[in-house]
Amino acid sequence: MTAPHWRYILHADLDAFYASVEQRDNPDLKGKPVVVGGPPESRGVVAAASYEAREYGVRSAMPMGVALRLCPDLVRISARFSRYHEVSRQIMDIFRGLTPLIEPLSLDEAYLDISEKVSADEVDGVAHGLKTRVRDETGLAVTVGGGTSKTVAKIASQIAKPDGLLLIKPNEERAFLSPLDVDMLWGVGPRTESVLRDHGINTIGHLAACDNGWLQNTFGKRGHELKERALGTDHHPVTPHRETKSVSAEITMTHDVGDEAALRDRMEELAQGVAARLQRNGLKGRTGQVKLRLADFTTFTRQVTLQAPTDEAGVILPVAWDLLHRELRPGRRFRLVGVGVSNFNEAFQLALLPPD
Amino acid sequence: MKLSCLQENLSRGLATVGRAVATRTTLPITQNVLLSTDRSMLKLSATNLEIAITTWIGAMVEEEGSITVPARLLTEFVASLPSERIDVSMAPGSKSLSLTCSRSEAHVNGTDVDEFPPIPTVESGLAAKIDPQAFKTAISQVVFAAATEESRPVLTGVKLELEGGKFTMAAADGFRLAVHNGELLEPVGEPINIILPARTLSEVNRLLGEQDTPVEMTMIPSKGQVLFRLNSIEIVSQLIQGTFPNYSQLIPQSYQTRSVTDLQELLRAARTASIFARDGSGIIRLQIMPGSDDQSESDEGQRSGKVVISARAEEMGDNQGEVDTFIEGDESKIAFNSKYLLEVLSVLERGEVVLETTTPSSPGVFRPIRGEKKWRERGVEERKPDETYVHVVMPMFVQWS
Repeated sequence: MTAPHWRYILHADLDAFYASVEQRDNPDLKGKPVVVGGPPESRGVVAAASYEAREYGVRSAMPMGVALRLCPDLVRISARFSRYHEVSRQIMDIFRGLTPLIEPLSLDEAYLDISEKVSADEVDGVAHGLKTRVRDETGLAVTVGGGTSKTVAKIASQIAKPDGLLLIKPNEERAFLSPLDVDMLWGVGPRTESVLRDHGINTIGHLAACDNGWLQNTFGKRGHELKERALGTDHHPVTPHRETKSVSAEITMTHDVGDEAALRDRMEELAQGVAARLQRNGLKGRTGQVKLRLADFTTFTRQVTLQAPTDEAGVILPVAWDLLHRELRPGRRFRLVGVGVSNFNEAFQLALLPPD
Repeated sequence: MKLSCLQENLSRGLATVGRAVATRTTLPITQNVLLSTDRSMLKLSATNLEIAITTWIGAMVEEEGSITVPARLLTEFVASLPSERIDVSMAPGSKSLSLTCSRSEAHVNGTDVDEFPPIPTVESGLAAKIDPQAFKTAISQVVFAAATEESRPVLTGVKLELEGGKFTMAAADGFRLAVHNGELLEPVGEPINIILPARTLSEVNRLLGEQDTPVEMTMIPSKGQVLFRLNSIEIVSQLIQGTFPNYSQLIPQSYQTRSVTDLQELLRAARTASIFARDGSGIIRLQIMPGSDDQSESDEGQRSGKVVISARAEEMGDNQGEVDTFIEGDESKIAFNSKYLLEVLSVLERGEVVLETTTPSSPGVFRPIRGEKKWRERGVEERKPDETYVHVVMPMFVQWS
């Protein structure tokens, strides 16, 4: 069986990126448990943890206080985002030297479609070469996964971490994916996972064998996509220009806040920040959103569609405040509040007559 | 009942009334067609309770009679016959219609005429006469703008106003408005204001065909009905009750940019763009740009320029075309739903089209300029649109970046 088009995608993922950049820039930190993030006094969160820190159980997104309890020798460094951006650009340029078809997912992660540039028997050499170049030119370790789809490439790199290389050959996708835990699949979040596990679907192989009708009934349109991913046959292309999908800002507060006036002040700052960023980027969005985290870490979002796209704080604030206001309860305190605007490029028909 | 007629006449007659046959109904007999002898003619009638169509065809009547039979069965049977004489008969007391044509014979079981809904008759009322081809133009320029979904019933109708020697037809669907101003053959005594189902006018348009004798329209607003009398066809329609939006206030009174463009050139560019728009979100973008060079600012601030028409199909491709234009005012841009743009350009007939715009999110106004001259050959006065038609379309909100 020959595919009509040869397709091969790499997923390149820098290991513990922020922490590795810090360790590289400051050789004293090499071999030590390092985390990047804000201090526990201001309720900082771990943005990145070196592999040494991970051995203590320290993980990304963990409150800094918890991380320090797990690893008292932890070296904490405040994030230097402009530095990470600079290094990221350097790395993306290396990727771009291999193929123009790269899709950055964040500062430290990208898909590379090498189908046009590389034949099947060259993949191995090219992937090795990529790792070597990144190490030589930046001193950082990158893990590379590869496969005939984004799904397979990404899962391969997850498994190969750290500093690994795992290339899945065409037609071996199913055998590779089949025994893996179903939650490794992109799109299987905690809720989907629990539904799947309730039905005895614990591995990607189980999901791949699922009846289409059942998937459709249980997950709607998404069911089909889940199955394609589980089979390793999803066709999502590598899209070089990722448009900004949303602009948002959030604050983790120094003390949990339940007071209306105080929350209102926070929301006002956030709305102004979001509006300023929208205006700087020439974006207007039609969906307003708030993100809320309660004192017990329960996190949820609420959103609403606006009458017309906006980039103005004067529009965003009342909408966001209304969304938050509905969630106020006696005694309820918020640990984090966030404001976001999305739905930028959605065109819509304007009305001539007001609705009845 | 006993008569004979020509297959082609009966077939045409059944096709004429066929559009009034009910398709989905809780009253099965409205799926029948009523046949009755009427002097030396055969009269065919059908009604779906909103609209009733009656037509007469020539026949040799030997015995009077009437019956209703399933319309679809009879229509398809007659259409399948050769173009010869058909003998139609029904024995007294029988409810089975026999049809013989050439070597084919059929029996169609019917239902008593008494059970058929009465076809409304309009004996007297306010009458008006309209030139048939002018009426057809008016209908085709307006009826497509009526709403097809029923959430606001008055918007599925067309507002028809008659006053003095003039008539105005208007339709709106919430996103666009079409208004046609025309002339009556004779002035009406008192003003008439009614809302007609758009479907009725579409039927009138279809049945008018090449007719050149005037259309007679008789209204009994108190009974909520209107009668159109065509050549050997009568159409009676219910009127829509309710208040039509005050449409004249929806027509912008001013503009920032007015462009005058050859209709066929603009239509062709829009059709090309629509191929790409079809696979995107149906958006066609128009950028109206004054030229930088030439005899600019010659006549009262009017100058030549171009309209750039473009569309994009996500991940598939894009298209951009240009049409020469004559511009008064500033550069402007506006995006339209491709269906709305094509529909209005398609009904403007020949000549040139005026597009008036203000901002990308305020309505665009289309007006015709009739005549053979190109705008390049026209004087300033001749570039004024005629008042017979105005079409207002709300744009699509898009990111212009």
